[in-house]
Amino acid sequence: MIELRNVERSYRAGHTETWVLRRVNLTIHPWEFVTIMGPSGAGKSSLLNVLGMLDDQWRGEFDFDGEAVHVMNRKQRADLARRRIGMVFQSYHLLDDLTVAENIDLPLSYKDIPKPERQALVADTLDRFQIVGKKDLYPHQLSGGQQQLVGIARAMIHKPALLLADEPTGNLQSKQAKEIMEMFRQLNEEGTTIVQVTHSEANAAYGTRIIELQDGWVQSDTAGVAEGAQPGVRR
Amino acid sequence: MNRFIQDVSFALRQLRKAPGFTITAILTLALGIGANAAIFTLVHAVLLKNLPVADPKTLVRVGDKDDCCVNGGTPDENDYSLFATQLYEHLRDNAPEFEGLAAMQSGIGFGGITARSNRPGDLPRAARGEMVTGNYFQVLGLKPYRGRLIAPTDDVIGAPMGVVMSYQTWQRDYAGDTSVVNSTFVLNTYPITILGITPPGFYGDRMTDEAPDFYIPMSLEPQFGPAHPDTLKNRRGANWLYLLGRVKPGTDLKQLQAKMSGALRNYLATLPVYQKQDQAKNLAESHVVLTPGGAGIENMQQEFGTGLKLLITVSALVLLIACANIANLVLVRGIARRTETSIRMALGAQRTRLIRQMLTESLVLSCLGGLAGLAVAYAGTKALLAMAFPDARNLPIDATPSLPVLAFAFGLSLVTGLIFGVAPAWVTSHSQPADALRGSNRTTGDRASWVQRSLVVLQAALSLVLLVGAGLMAKSLSRLENQDFGVVTENRLVAHFSPENAGYKPEQLQALYDKIDQDMHALPGVEKAALSLYTPLEGNNWGEGVYIQGRPEPHAGDPIGASWLRVGPEYFDIVGHRVLRGRGITAHDTATSTPVVVVNETFVKKFFPKGENPLGVHFGISGVESSGDWEIIGVVSDIKYNNLRRPVRAMYFRPLLQVAHTKPEDDMRSLYAGAIMLTTKGSVEGLESQTRRALANINPNLTVTNFNTFAGQIHGQFNQERLIARLTLMFGVLALILAAVGLYGVTAYSVARRTSEIGVRMALGANRGSVITMVLREAMVQAGIGLAIGIPVAWMCARFVQSQLYNVGGHDGVVLAGAILVLAIAACTAGLIPARRAASTDPVQALRME
Repeated sequence: MIELRNVERSYRAGHTETWVLRRVNLTIHPWEFVTIMGPSGAGKSSLLNVLGMLDDQWRGEFDFDGEAVHVMNRKQRADLARRRIGMVFQSYHLLDDLTVAENIDLPLSYKDIPKPERQALVADTLDRFQIVGKKDLYPHQLSGGQQQLVGIARAMIHKPALLLADEPTGNLQSKQAKEIMEMFRQLNEEGTTIVQVTHSEANAAYGTRIIELQDGWVQSDTAGVAEGAQPGVRR
Repeated sequence: MNRFIQDVSFALRQLRKAPGFTITAILTLALGIGANAAIFTLVHAVLLKNLPVADPKTLVRVGDKDDCCVNGGTPDENDYSLFATQLYEHLRDNAPEFEGLAAMQSGIGFGGITARSNRPGDLPRAARGEMVTGNYFQVLGLKPYRGRLIAPTDDVIGAPMGVVMSYQTWQRDYAGDTSVVNSTFVLNTYPITILGITPPGFYGDRMTDEAPDFYIPMSLEPQFGPAHPDTLKNRRGANWLYLLGRVKPGTDLKQLQAKMSGALRNYLATLPVYQKQDQAKNLAESHVVLTPGGAGIENMQQEFGTGLKLLITVSALVLLIACANIANLVLVRGIARRTETSIRMALGAQRTRLIRQMLTESLVLSCLGGLAGLAVAYAGTKALLAMAFPDARNLPIDATPSLPVLAFAFGLSLVTGLIFGVAPAWVTSHSQPADALRGSNRTTGDRASWVQRSLVVLQAALSLVLLVGAGLMAKSLSRLENQDFGVVTENRLVAHFSPENAGYKPEQLQALYDKIDQDMHALPGVEKAALSLYTPLEGNNWGEGVYIQGRPEPHAGDPIGASWLRVGPEYFDIVGHRVLRGRGITAHDTATSTPVVVVNETFVKKFFPKGENPLGVHFGISGVESSGDWEIIGVVSDIKYNNLRRPVRAMYFRPLLQVAHTKPEDDMRSLYAGAIMLTTKGSVEGLESQTRRALANINPNLTVTNFNTFAGQIHGQFNQERLIARLTLMFGVLALILAAVGLYGVTAYSVARRTSEIGVRMALGANRGSVITMVLREAMVQAGIGLAIGIPVAWMCARFVQSQLYNVGGHDGVVLAGAILVLAIAACTAGLIPARRAASTDPVQALRME
């Protein structure tokens, strides 16, 4: 599904160039539940942003379902992301001025989908995530866990092939976190490829594969040997 | 369409959830748009509106000054704008380039006509009449609403007496009664037929708050003209007419002007005044100026023009400040929604979709502001008209706000809102969503942008300019109103009336004045009463050249002019003239006693500069041969009678009914007193109706045309100055509020963005005071830069308002210091509120924020 070849990302500040991703080579297959781990500043979120096409300033090659993302322009990437990828954020990033239903509807509103059809999809999603009773509430009226649930629902409504989650339980209590991770597992079993960034070993245990980053390098990959890893950091 | 409705719905919800922002933005828009529309409506109506006549573009006025009302001698700069009857005929006959050249009376006074209909029980009422030539309505290309208009055949000696009534008068006073047309009215005791009604919307040949009620053929000038019972027709040097004509297509106006100036000089050369040796230069320079006549006789435009242009400039500056405020408000809002914009992009929103949503929000806000602006414009225009013309009966100015200006102001505000509202979204949509989504305040930077600060600085600078202007106007008005006019106003009342309209002959006046004097003294509460030709500060003035006995013939251009007035015995006491030397006018100064005059201090300084004793000196006004006509028997203190901004004029006072020995026929008109002044013991209820009744008991045709307190009469002289001072003050305060709101908004935003920084500072030991100082300093620096720019700008702009000021220099240090102080206080207050909020930050909470 996803293939990264020699993907690199750096930030320039004055005369200094800081590398956040270094020669990342990665293959993610459909239906995998991948966890990306590593210390702060390892490049986890940066990698996720590249996968989610929120970041254009990387170098290398990136294929998504056979399509060469690295030759696409911004519009084409955004279009691809809109169709195939859903994102879940640590801070939920719900829009406070929209109700739960409207937040969930938001990705659909950016597509040419007739309103009745959108309403039907939203209703199904609310039902699926068992938040029908909360559809007219605003985010500030929900608990953290409920907000994250809405965030996941929003990410899933357009049935993306790939779900990216950046510290999805970072702001939640353990009970809520467990519920969210169970939800992820269920989605994965239903066919969604999931890539999550987390510090939590407990969360990582829900996945089928762990990729460890350090200083921008892929240090280890439980799917196999980390290609391109620095000598001395291979396991 | 669905998406648009969705965007509008979302926009309205956004606005509802941010009431502070929404109300501020809408109020700002409303005031900016509304104030401009109101001012411009007035400007358009007074300065730019054409007469409601056929093809105003082809109308030409012969003259360019607002001279009025019966002038002799030579005009200033030899520029003729008033014409004698025979001079008009001469010019008309020598200018075939005109399809028609009409003449009209220059001075139209309320109470110049007393009108009574033939309806049973109808009482005489004071009205305005304008003498016009028979071709007047033809030249203007008008058709009657009912009946017919004056034709050349009506303007012939001996023609049946007929007049035309204005539509407004017909509606207001006679309820549109159709039987009025072709009925007989009594005008000034003469039976007259009402020929017809003017078209609706026609208000005469000039923009005025005192439009004529009746249009009277010029042939009736001996009965209704300003010199009645005398006539001006044969007085070849008495200039009293305005001229307005319609030129033939293709006429070269420059050539016509030169030709008419030549014809003028030919006529003037036959007048005695121009046959003197020293008048040769004046004769050679005598000319006329042809000006566009589409707006008619532009007296009001000249009177109000400078003031209105000042107001337009002021309101435009306020609009600019309002736009800067809107820009800041929506900019702050847009920046604060960067994260939302990025989330939307991450969820698949295209850039055009985002921009469209922002556009819709700005459009909704602008529409709401525009609607509110419309309401402010309408109410503001009505209020403005009431302030500018408080006593107007027939004001031909529609209070409906000018649509072009509404559209312009609305459009400008809309564009401002769109640009500054969309800009943040446009910028964010071009940046990486990841940057915005990474989370805010990892660092403690991100303060208010330079754009926002620049806008605040601009607002502060403009506000200072407006405050200085307002301060200067207010100080000028105060100086104008509080100057010592020399009068006493407490318990003084003025009643204007017109014995000539009631048909009194000169020989009947003595008995009339005695009766009026007796009856006025008999009114309860009245202590003193006196008749006079006119009163101080009512806008009237009679003036003549003075020829002192024993002195040589004055040269052309020598300053021998003096104003004069006929007064009754108690007049000086009532008005406040103190008798300084000799005596005042007494009851013994009758028509048959020795002709005497009393002069004022300025007269003495002017004509007796070496300190000679004026008492016993004789002078006249009809040339050197008349210099023995009157003896000076007293000197009274100065009082300002007319132009408030100029020093007191030399003045002399004559008894009511004494006639000059030389040219007594020229004295007849002035025998008709126009005012009764009363002094009362305190306030007397119902005195006006008692006065009216007392006069009506003497003669039903003696109507009171105006009744006012003396203080009220004087107060009315400052209407224009008061209007301008009030409006500039209002706009200055408005600008200050807008600037303060702008500064508050930027400071509050800056504080919100710096919460983490403030938390860190406090965690490291900063106390409340230092946090307040830090925030306030930033706000005051912006205000300070605004002041630094505004002070020199205000200094430079001072010369544009100098002409409007009285006894106040444009560079008044006190006013400038005051404006700076007011602005500094407002800025300090605007900055203090968010500063105090910043100092109340809980460091723990602040540091916990992303």
